[in-house]
Amino acid sequence: MAIAKAERLMNLALCLLGTRRPLSKRELRESIEAYLEAGSDDSFNRMFERDKDDLRELGLVIETVENLDGDTGYLARRDSNRLPPITLDAEEAAALGLAAKVWQQARLAGAASGALQKLRAAGLPEDVDPYGAHGALEPRIPVHEAAFEPLMLACRDRRPVVFDYRKANAAQPEPRHVEPWALECWRGHWYLAGWDRDRGAERVFRLSRISGKVRSRSGRFTVPVPDVVTVRETVASWAGETADRSARIRLRSDAGYPLRSKATAVRELGDGWDELEIPYGHGLDAWLVEFGPDVVVLGPAELRADVVDRLRAVAKG
Amino acid sequence: MAGKPVRPVNAIDQTRRMLSLVTYLRERPGARIEDVARAFGITEDELVSDLDVLPMCGTSFRGGDLLDIDTDGERIWWHNPAALGAEAAEPLRLAADEATALLVAARAVATLPGLRESDRQALLRATAKVETAAGEAAGASSRLSVTFESEGGVFADVDRAIAERRRLWIRYYSPARDEVTEREIDPIRLVSVGHTYVEAWCRRSEARRTFRLDRVAEIRVMDEPSAPPEMELRDLSEALVQPAAEDPEVVVEVAPGGRWVAEYYPHDSADELPDGGLRITLRTPDPASLRRLALRLGRDGRIVEPSELADSARQAAREALAAYDGAEAAG
Repeated sequence: MAIAKAERLMNLALCLLGTRRPLSKRELRESIEAYLEAGSDDSFNRMFERDKDDLRELGLVIETVENLDGDTGYLARRDSNRLPPITLDAEEAAALGLAAKVWQQARLAGAASGALQKLRAAGLPEDVDPYGAHGALEPRIPVHEAAFEPLMLACRDRRPVVFDYRKANAAQPEPRHVEPWALECWRGHWYLAGWDRDRGAERVFRLSRISGKVRSRSGRFTVPVPDVVTVRETVASWAGETADRSARIRLRSDAGYPLRSKATAVRELGDGWDELEIPYGHGLDAWLVEFGPDVVVLGPAELRADVVDRLRAVAKG
Repeated sequence: MAGKPVRPVNAIDQTRRMLSLVTYLRERPGARIEDVARAFGITEDELVSDLDVLPMCGTSFRGGDLLDIDTDGERIWWHNPAALGAEAAEPLRLAADEATALLVAARAVATLPGLRESDRQALLRATAKVETAAGEAAGASSRLSVTFESEGGVFADVDRAIAERRRLWIRYYSPARDEVTEREIDPIRLVSVGHTYVEAWCRRSEARRTFRLDRVAEIRVMDEPSAPPEMELRDLSEALVQPAAEDPEVVVEVAPGGRWVAEYYPHDSADELPDGGLRITLRTPDPASLRRLALRLGRDGRIVEPSELADSARQAAREALAAYDGAEAAG
């Protein structure tokens, strides 16, 4: 039976951590049973390279040292792999315990548990869970977008990418070449901010509009990454949340609670209608139309025309 | 608490866990399986599968010993802790992904309004300590961020009601009907998935309901004790609103400009149309609630089925237009 990969990785990790001098590939091959069974040199070499990458992925710093004979040796020095001293009290431990549970994405959920386990091994206090007492709070970070993981890795490693992106109102996706800076989750959706090479400008992309695979490009970033990347502001303006004007509408008295909660002024007209002043940003016309005959736009004329136009389209439908 | 998501066996996660496990077990001879599984946030089965692998591992270079770790099903014994040099058993530094996953989540949770102040302070202290301990590995965590949305005042009242087991009176806005209704609810838990929701037993509908906090128009913690019936908590990791198979079907055809519908509405299918649009089939217990959608879509889409829904949207648009004709004639 083939030896499980976790057993092989564990043995390699323990060998590299346990040695004080660099071990050659040959020495490692002779020490680890799974490598003895690997068969040809080729398949051993491939396996060994992959295993080293996997161990680096989980945080092991593996040094490559050339010895006098020109052989390459490997070791994981204790001082570069040791967790610095960290002391957390019971409340801090409980708070981190809650935070480690919020990811719904497999890779990050695994990484967060891994971090907590390392801290546990370093003496993180157990068994106190003030949240568990009544279990009221369950924050979760949703990640449904397939593009998330490759983009997260590309942001981490600062690798340019290309993906097919369909703009909100476009029929067909088109390829976009992007230097990815940061990902942000807002209102349950993920967005990418980065440098759009095709447009020569900073852009924000919504991950759910990326179709197909995110592919890595070779080479480095060509534009410096800004210190502060503002995704939220851009998305808020798409969502019509940055209004610079105001509109006047009539609203039936028992209707349109969300419009009321945004209103800057409300006047009862006494005939079963109220007059409201509300912020006028991008997308207000589409929103007002949702309320059908319960809303009448008084002004500005441009908004009134947009709403009438939309209503006509539905009436004809 | 919701059930633990089922994790596929991942060799990297398991290796990382076993490395921490040896450090942990070394300090705790005779540790109980139950306690260790809880400390590591894994099931007892997962722990036992680790304990099956560990005796095959060791610093086996040039005949070193394998780890002699075994269990009687209740406690874990390690008979040769010296097999691993003192140094090889030290806790390992955090990987970049580990630091990112923990720090981003911690910062996000710290932004939750209504989090008890003492808990927020504890979280901020812990975050700072982890940042320091992670060193360079913490750097990449600035490339991810998460903001939870929730209404601070409402959140605090719901949180208090849950802690004190009290009933809540709310005025709640339902977009489907564009109406605000009064309800008494027995809150069970708060869930943040993008927006923040309270899951509760609704005494008006005598059913379990999920309320989005930003749709709560008014809230009051009542004197009556909360008494939700015993029920199994659902795993909310997929979607908060799961349409039922018996719900009526609605078919919407949208132009390219209406493709967002497929992003916002859980649906059974979305088939590409030749013009770049989509034909979307979804289910809802209350098709009339989709009249808003039909109105919003305008020329970007139309309801194909049921025809009553399409008719009611057309009718609503005509009524709305009448107000403008009237105003224009009058003005």
